[in-house]
Amino acid sequence: MNDTKETRPDTQSLLEAWMKNAAEFWETAARMWPDAAEKMGLKGRTFDAWDSALETWQAMAAVMSEPGATEGLFKGINTVPSVLVKMIQPALHCVFQFQLEWMERASRIGKSTTAYTFENLDQEAFKAWKELYEKEFQRFLKIPQLGLTRVYQERMNEVTDKLNVFEAEMGEFISILYLPVEKSFNVMREELNKMAESGELPQRSVDYYRIWIKILEGHYMTLFKSPEYNRALAKILDALGEYTLAREEILQDTLKLFPLPTYKDMDELYREIYLLKKRIKELETKDRQRSRPDDT
Amino acid sequence: MDQSKIPVDLLLENLAEDTARGEELVERASQILLEPLDTDIATTPYDIVYEEDRVKLKHYRPVTDAAIKTPLLVVYALINRETMLDLQPGRSVVQTFLKGGIDLYMIDWGYPTRKDRYLTIDDHVNGYMDDIIDVILNKHGLKQINLMGVCMGGTFSLIYAALHPEKVKNLITTVTPSNFDTDQGLLHIWMKNLNVDRMVDAFGNIPGDMMNFGFLLLNPARLMIDKYMGFIQHMDNKKFVENFVRMEKWIFDSPDVPGETFRQFVKDLYQQNLLINNKMEMGGERVDLTKITMPLLNFYGHYDHSPSHCREESVRNSRCRLRADTKKRRFLSPSGTRNGVGASGERRRMAPLSSLRDTQAR
Repeated sequence: MNDTKETRPDTQSLLEAWMKNAAEFWETAARMWPDAAEKMGLKGRTFDAWDSALETWQAMAAVMSEPGATEGLFKGINTVPSVLVKMIQPALHCVFQFQLEWMERASRIGKSTTAYTFENLDQEAFKAWKELYEKEFQRFLKIPQLGLTRVYQERMNEVTDKLNVFEAEMGEFISILYLPVEKSFNVMREELNKMAESGELPQRSVDYYRIWIKILEGHYMTLFKSPEYNRALAKILDALGEYTLAREEILQDTLKLFPLPTYKDMDELYREIYLLKKRIKELETKDRQRSRPDDT
Repeated sequence: MDQSKIPVDLLLENLAEDTARGEELVERASQILLEPLDTDIATTPYDIVYEEDRVKLKHYRPVTDAAIKTPLLVVYALINRETMLDLQPGRSVVQTFLKGGIDLYMIDWGYPTRKDRYLTIDDHVNGYMDDIIDVILNKHGLKQINLMGVCMGGTFSLIYAALHPEKVKNLITTVTPSNFDTDQGLLHIWMKNLNVDRMVDAFGNIPGDMMNFGFLLLNPARLMIDKYMGFIQHMDNKKFVENFVRMEKWIFDSPDVPGETFRQFVKDLYQQNLLINNKMEMGGERVDLTKITMPLLNFYGHYDHSPSHCREESVRNSRCRLRADTKKRRFLSPSGTRNGVGASGERRRMAPLSSLRDTQAR
């Protein structure tokens, strides 16, 4: 840190010297410009444009070479890291907090439920991650974009956001889908205990497998009817749909650069063809009915 | 656990034997898997007699004199392929029909592409199905046809029979969903919460692979683990391997489902159950199931939880809403959808020869 303090005045003086040189260069250039332009044969709009640009550079260089300006510039530069730190610090703090909570909660998933039941699953870990994402990260992707490319930037942010949401939902869905496997091993252990006590343990490995697969099947059947699974399934399909739509938008933008029709173009065309064919069929039917002898 | 009671010595001994048997099995299996295998499906000869867009009409070449004069049109689901009914020689519903003297037609819905995304149920029922039935009726100079629907095709056939009862002589529905207000089948539960608008908007057509993944999730323990364990145990049996591969070919041959048809099927049927309540609209006309007055034969599976689910209570409910004078028969298979149609025992019972003969004199 001390090194930084010591080098800062040197950097400032160097910049001041460079600014002074730049001001002198542009002043000289401005003085020489009319003769040079005449030799180059520049006239009219071209001459005016160069003349104007040189004046602007000369004026800017003169202002920037003032000692106070360099100091101001440094102040501005110095504030950037502190602003960034202020923005990121709360998010980082949340991440650390989240990591602690997540580790605690993740270890509880599925432990609070008994065999063949999937109600009230402890899915706080995934909820916590989603909340953290929505509170601390998602808003960075929602910052309004400016300028000519704002639409494209927003779409890129949108697809990133939707992908993150989809991955979060996928994590939850996969963990739920894996629960029956875990539970089946627990039940299997209990079953084997009972069999061992009664001296009825199978002697062939395939029999153990058959017991396990039956237990696993039972768990899946119970899971698939649970509201928790159904909610997770609906959410993941929804998130996949949203991500796909956002991704399609980016693809459309890219395809526009090439002489290729986009899905949107083709869908419009398909819809028109579909409606036209329906219309033709209706007209054909009406025509057939009109030309039937018994109808006339 | 009381470790001392586990017969570790016996287990290890058996495991050693299993390992030795496993080595032999793998050796025999590798020979079989490297040999040419006969895994073709849908080999019964047929002619394409009509085509409209992606849809084709198959007419199977008769193998015997016609025992039943009225031709039979089989309408399969949009999910998976009609090749299920002709998986292999000797294990084919199609061949059972032909041997029974049925003049057999079958719709091949083809593979929908993006351009088909706007096709609705109306386009399939009042469009393709009606055009195909007109073609058959004109060809044979008849006014009525025998109609058989399988799975989702059965629902289409029910709708068709209600809208065009004058063209249907006998109606056969096989593993057909009609009453969707039930929590007995997993798909009925799952579809209730589905944001179908988002899915259709995102995908256009619903990808066949996505549908198939959903079907695998109906019973992952059996369909994703146990099935392949069974394969490993019997992979030294050539016939078993060939049949297994044929079934795999069929199961994973899944066309995409046209987006608007899927949207309508989920919203009108799974979520609002409009059909059984006679509230469904098709091409501006209400589908009134009380108009199904022709003889009806219904097949359903006891353990069916796929989209072709049609449990007893569902049938009972649908029967209540059909006219009291409709001649009805039903057949309960002890299996599920895929087995219900493909299993050899069911195949013979499913071929409704006697039912069609019963009504031949009408």
